[in-house]
Amino acid sequence: MLETRNLDKSFGAVHVTRGVSLKLERGERRVILGPNGAGKTTLFNLLVGELTPDSGSVHLAGENVTALPVARRARQGLSRSYQKNTLFDGLTVEENLGLAAAIHTGHATTLRRDSLARPEVREIVAEVANQVNLMPYLHARVSEVSYGVRRQLEVGVALATRPLVLLMDEPTSGVGPEMAKGFHDLLNNLPRDLTLLIIEHDMDLAFDVADTITVLNYGEVVFDGLPEAARGSTLLKEIYLGSWEDA
Amino acid sequence: MFRHTPLRYGALVLLASAALFQAFTAEYFGLEILTEIVILAMLVIALDMVAGFGGMVSLCHGALLGVGAYGYAILSTKLGLTPVVAMAGAVAITGAVAWVIGAICARSHGIYFIMATLAFGQMGYSYVFEAPLFGGDDGLGGIARLDLSLIGLDLNDGRSFALFSLGVLAAIYGVAVLILRSGLGRSLSGVMHNEQRMRALGLTVWRVKADVFGLSGLISGLAGVMAAQHVMFVSPGLLSWTVSGEALVVVILGGLGTLVGPLLGAAVFVLLKHEVGALTSYWHLVVGILLIAVVMSRANGIFGWIEARFGARIERRAADAVRDIDPREVKTDA
Repeated sequence: MLETRNLDKSFGAVHVTRGVSLKLERGERRVILGPNGAGKTTLFNLLVGELTPDSGSVHLAGENVTALPVARRARQGLSRSYQKNTLFDGLTVEENLGLAAAIHTGHATTLRRDSLARPEVREIVAEVANQVNLMPYLHARVSEVSYGVRRQLEVGVALATRPLVLLMDEPTSGVGPEMAKGFHDLLNNLPRDLTLLIIEHDMDLAFDVADTITVLNYGEVVFDGLPEAARGSTLLKEIYLGSWEDA
Repeated sequence: MFRHTPLRYGALVLLASAALFQAFTAEYFGLEILTEIVILAMLVIALDMVAGFGGMVSLCHGALLGVGAYGYAILSTKLGLTPVVAMAGAVAITGAVAWVIGAICARSHGIYFIMATLAFGQMGYSYVFEAPLFGGDDGLGGIARLDLSLIGLDLNDGRSFALFSLGVLAAIYGVAVLILRSGLGRSLSGVMHNEQRMRALGLTVWRVKADVFGLSGLISGLAGVMAAQHVMFVSPGLLSWTVSGEALVVVILGGLGTLVGPLLGAAVFVLLKHEVGALTSYWHLVVGILLIAVVMSRANGIFGWIEARFGARIERRAADAVRDIDPREVKTDA
């Protein structure tokens, strides 16, 4: 469903992504682990087109999308949530979800009717609000809801475009243990045919959700395998304990 | 995102009533002032659409008004087209010009967007000022008004023209509301709140901006056509950046992003110009002081101040009134 081939990206002398090759099957749930500065978010930016790779390619559902702009990739089914909330703060939760659903249903540029009042848009909004537990907050403005609810909405907005592949950049970033537990359930309840690529620091969530785990360090894939193998990996422990040395 | 509140409906009714009262009772000068307010209101609705709901602060809307005015003048006087066809042609040309400007400027933001639109506006002004086709700084005269004698309306009469202008303004307001409530208008609001996210969700942002800028251009063009018919003369001054600057002042004075506020702003601005202008030629000072007061008060213009002071109370009362209705009193079809 999503594949990268030898992705490389440098900022000046800093090589942030080095020959990253990944292959995600339809419905696969992969967690990307790695210390700060490992190049995880840069990889996401390369995947969605917010950054252009120096070399290598990105393939979505068999098509090379490397040259496509962000919006085209999103319309082809690649959606993301951000590590820092990137929402429509002055609008309500319902309007946030509605704007995303309107783009998916093709009503975002029409002059004929209110896109947010369209039955198909309202249907998606209701469905996603249920999936990410936002029903009680639909009419509240984003600025009025708690941080945890905003994190749920961050994922909800990405889901409302009905993606084939959903990239989630630290969905539990900044939330408490109780809320993080809620995210476990939320992610486990997502449709099984949705391909997920998740950057996560919370090891419990990573091992709970992941079918496969990829570990990045200094922009390079240093581990790619099953969670059981990752759990016993001394390499992973070394990376997180900070004793990794770049060979 | 555009919303009509009870207060906004109330303000619209009040403004429309005052305008109609003036249209039916005023003498020559009163009708001229009313028509001036109405034409300025058309322009500021167009500007509020892009600035208040899309974050595109334009300094070329004066020039767009000029394109509409000159378009009508050239098409009707030089090419001999009937006023209706000339009007449609001028509006279409202005919309196309605005779409191109919007498409080019859509990738810039903030001060760069303002400067880019200013540059387009000044290019238009300079060209019209220099080109013999447009009459240079002498402008063009002999512009005819629409002939509506078929429906018994003589637009050469000031009262009829003022009423016709009011009708056009009402239509423009309705169209602006429809645009802002449409999918395109909702997406524009999304872009203003978070352009990066709208793009990441799959929206072609530049296209939405260009389309709304083009629609705003259509309205500006129509305002220009009305201005040309009102004075029956066009001059390069119509395209000057000061016209754009004044329109922006009016939008901010009235209430950016409220659509109703700029109508109020247009009335306040033109009345100040004439009433204070009769006492002193330094009337701009009064407008300046008022603008500073509005900006320093942190209210969103005069209408924003009214909304902050009375809006919540009115909405609460409306909600209470709905709650207080005894369900047994509600008649149903069943």
